[in-house]
Amino acid sequence: MKPVRFDYKRPATIDEACGLLAGDDNARILAGGQSLIPMLSMRLSRPSLLIDIAHIPELTTFVETETHIEIGAMVRQAAAQKSELVKTHIPLLAKALGHVGHPPTRARGTVGGSVAHADPSAEIALVTATLGAEITYRVDGTDEIFDASDFFIGPMLTIAPPTGCLTRLSFAKAPAVCGTGFHEVAPRKSDYALVSAAAQINFAAGSGVTSIHLGIGSVGDFPERLDVNKLCGTPLDDAAIADAVHAAMQMVETVEDLHATAAYRKRVATELAIRALRDARDEISKDLNQ
Amino acid sequence: MTEQKYKFLSTPRRPVEDRRFVAGRGKFIADLDRPNMLHVAPLASHHAAAVINGIDASAALAMPGVVDVITGAELAAAVQPLMNGLNTPNVRRFPLAVDRVRYAGEWVCAVVAESRALAEDALEKIIVDATPQPFILDAEAALLETSAPVHPEHGSNLLLDRKFVWGPVDDDFDAAAHSLSFSVTWGRNSTVPIETFGVLAEWNGWDQMLDIWASIQMPKYADQIARSLDLPGNAIRVHYDVDVGGSYGVKRGIKHSVLVGYVARKLGCPVRLIEDRLENMRAGDAHGPERKFDITIAFDQDGTVRSMKMRALDNAGAYAGRAPFQLGKPISAIVGPYQINSVAYHALSVTTNKTVQEAVRGFGQAPTNYAIETAMDRVAKYLGMDRLALRQKNLIRKDQFPYLIPSGSYYDSGDYHAVIDKVLAAADYPAMLAERDRLRDAGMMAGIGIAACLEPSGGNSSFEPLLNQSNQTSTWMESCQVNIDALGKLTARIHTTSSGQGHETLVSTVLGEVMQIDPELIRITRPNSLESLPGNSPVGSRMAIMLGGAAARAGEKLKAKIMAIAAHRLGVAIDQLRYEGGDVLAHDGRRFTWDEMVELAHRQYHNLPDGMDPGLASFDIMQVPTGDALPVDDKVQMYPCYSFEFHLLLVSFDPIIGRPDIHSYVIGHDCGTVINPAIVSGMTYGGIAHGIGAALFEEFAYDTNGQLLTQSFLDYLMPSSHEVPAIQIVKHCTPSPHTVFGQKGSGESGYLGAPAAVSAAINDAVSGLGIHFEKLPIRMSAISDAIAAKTS
Repeated sequence: MKPVRFDYKRPATIDEACGLLAGDDNARILAGGQSLIPMLSMRLSRPSLLIDIAHIPELTTFVETETHIEIGAMVRQAAAQKSELVKTHIPLLAKALGHVGHPPTRARGTVGGSVAHADPSAEIALVTATLGAEITYRVDGTDEIFDASDFFIGPMLTIAPPTGCLTRLSFAKAPAVCGTGFHEVAPRKSDYALVSAAAQINFAAGSGVTSIHLGIGSVGDFPERLDVNKLCGTPLDDAAIADAVHAAMQMVETVEDLHATAAYRKRVATELAIRALRDARDEISKDLNQ
Repeated sequence: MTEQKYKFLSTPRRPVEDRRFVAGRGKFIADLDRPNMLHVAPLASHHAAAVINGIDASAALAMPGVVDVITGAELAAAVQPLMNGLNTPNVRRFPLAVDRVRYAGEWVCAVVAESRALAEDALEKIIVDATPQPFILDAEAALLETSAPVHPEHGSNLLLDRKFVWGPVDDDFDAAAHSLSFSVTWGRNSTVPIETFGVLAEWNGWDQMLDIWASIQMPKYADQIARSLDLPGNAIRVHYDVDVGGSYGVKRGIKHSVLVGYVARKLGCPVRLIEDRLENMRAGDAHGPERKFDITIAFDQDGTVRSMKMRALDNAGAYAGRAPFQLGKPISAIVGPYQINSVAYHALSVTTNKTVQEAVRGFGQAPTNYAIETAMDRVAKYLGMDRLALRQKNLIRKDQFPYLIPSGSYYDSGDYHAVIDKVLAAADYPAMLAERDRLRDAGMMAGIGIAACLEPSGGNSSFEPLLNQSNQTSTWMESCQVNIDALGKLTARIHTTSSGQGHETLVSTVLGEVMQIDPELIRITRPNSLESLPGNSPVGSRMAIMLGGAAARAGEKLKAKIMAIAAHRLGVAIDQLRYEGGDVLAHDGRRFTWDEMVELAHRQYHNLPDGMDPGLASFDIMQVPTGDALPVDDKVQMYPCYSFEFHLLLVSFDPIIGRPDIHSYVIGHDCGTVINPAIVSGMTYGGIAHGIGAALFEEFAYDTNGQLLTQSFLDYLMPSSHEVPAIQIVKHCTPSPHTVFGQKGSGESGYLGAPAAVSAAINDAVSGLGIHFEKLPIRMSAISDAIAAKTS
């Protein structure tokens, strides 16, 4: 369990990092290292160059615009968890972060690293896909923006450009009235989830429910959005939620491994998606009744 | 209760080892560094079975920093096969595969290099020309005559096939009103130490001495290395003054040590091999029993269990290892804590193309306890009888001890009913039942698990001559040396490594009690093997009994000498003297102080009794109590002492999610006189955590290609602090009549009953649906799937 020999560089700017990346076909970006370092030790990843982006100041900031919250790629998960901006404007991410690993891994692990790594069971990736967050890569000196809803295409596989460096995630601010729900199950607390589900229901005074975002993780090769927008305009009762989720789950293909059968993943994904939607609905009811 | 009569024993005292461990000042193999030390990395087989046609290491050898590549062929020509204890001369095992690999992960060859990283780089350059062969993973399939043997020279996969009939089994079955049969399977799991195995060897040609530092928990380790390397016993010097980062049976390390010893001698350099986690999990000594039980049990309408037929089929993996003998130890408690009049036991061990099975905590007892306790639950369910009442009816009563079980062992002492009553009171059993019903009403699945079982302790090896008649070993000893120096301070030597059992605390507490000296002032040292007296190391839950016993006896010998010096000095008979806190008091009030005694013994030979040797030293080599005979008629007294434990817990889970949540866990524990309460409680807490792992999470699972799926902590899941509930220990003390203070063993406590209890709780939760989980671990996915199959 010793990595293969590699070079190590610590650029000071994003463009310097991109230059290093372009100069070596077998270079890899090192962010928090919570997935990459074990993979190096197991020799599952064999880069010739590691580009450590931990010391690029502009990657560690939160930026609030009128409509969005931008999170720098090197923002640690623990910092995001503590951020008032995240709590106020990205409540679904705030809920999910408590499920990501353990306090020591969140202290090192980054929000951007989790998205770039694209583990099918990653909570942060699920939230970005569910909400359709914007993922920005710097490529050849220009920014390319990807919609997280179709960014993930397989286990540890994305459509990110090979020579790009993830610089930030941008989340639309949740409306003043909205509800969220996040559930996951794992054999042990904070294990890689066997199944996870994330939901956000957006509400606007006068027009009611404006959009419903629902996603499930860990059940297939990547986090998947489920379309339940037909629930908009309905009273969102339990039966309607269950019907919509069952219908949306029809097309979902689930994977099987030692820890859970495909049938288990399907059954529990359905259940967790229902529970997440109900939680989101109940939050809105609570808000409106206050 | 006996607690009050001791000054240091059974009192809450902090284990002395804690200080260095908490401060990070332990000394482990990875902390040792020798000048010019070389590092070894083994190449793991990708095949579950293959014939090795050739190994091309030329590219590896050409790399800078690579010193040597050792193949199985080279090693087999230079060393003796590793011992296994059975009469299976054609099941030969060497540290590296010879001609053939028999499991995925088996070491094919080993690189020696200037660093471990370089050695791993070189592994990738080695080309092994191998032809894959058919392989077999399932034990029942391995038994079939049509199955290819893992060792063709051996002719079959059978390592052990012994049938025992103890008592009138047929008569008891004929007389019984009912019988029922079932099967349960114990999944392959282990103890998984934090520190993987490591060994450092250094050959000194001028002294003709092989120095070894190793993280071992292994009886006769030095002897086995010497035999395998064809060296005299006194040319191996094993240094016991290293810390071992966890074991519970799995730190055996013979193959690693023979390999490293050979390389150290060949190259004349210090050589170190420390397993990484992958090596530990796929090819270390990490795997424990994998056992299928077929049980038929005979009982009356009133719940009296008369007789049991048990077939136990163990999947030993690719070589003999210790697996077959792990079918032997449970013979010492084959009826559990129950009055079962007769037993038929069929013990089968087969080779398969899996990793070799070695000793794990309890040495096969925990699986057997799981089978027995499942049987009790099945009988209760069949009769519609309360599980607790059934057990209480069949438990051995306290007035029946010493109690002779059908297989030939006497249980020493116990009061099982009293322990259970205490647990029921402590847990508020009626409230627990009410809580279970409340949870069920709320839509959860909820169940109560109970399990009663024994921990045979004192560790002799009577199962070896019982299973292998050519083995005539009845000696199973432990030793301790004690010296009082010229300044009056006491030092004791122990002759083994410790892997967390707290032997320094054990010996200092026992000697403090005997000598009436503050244990804090007693020094414990660990000399090397050449400066040691014989011992059998901490296995079989034996050290409280054996090392504690030897230390106490050595102390008593010293005390007898002190009394003789005092009697001579004061001019009175010994029986008119009283030993008190290190001083000796005469009946007339005169006091002969410790300091005077030290002065006489060390400097005033002229004032010692005639013929008495100077100095104040003693030693004791103690044979295991009751271990004085070989088996007769397939029966033998195995372990001297039997600790009792009773588990009670409440579990609930969501029927769709299936993730068990343990609400409350109470264990009643009687291991006789406790020497250090913190150590016993720690063992018990850890044992229950380990048992929860065996019941719900831990398994060395293979895919259909014979590849180990669980090679790291990503997939081999152990319970964390989140999954282990607060545990309440209810203590009871029935002293053993066979030991110096009445102590029994506790090193396996908790683990021996927890898997049975957790399994019982889950089965209780689903029993209304007609579901029986018959295999451990019971994964959450399996729970949910089974419920869905019944309810959809």
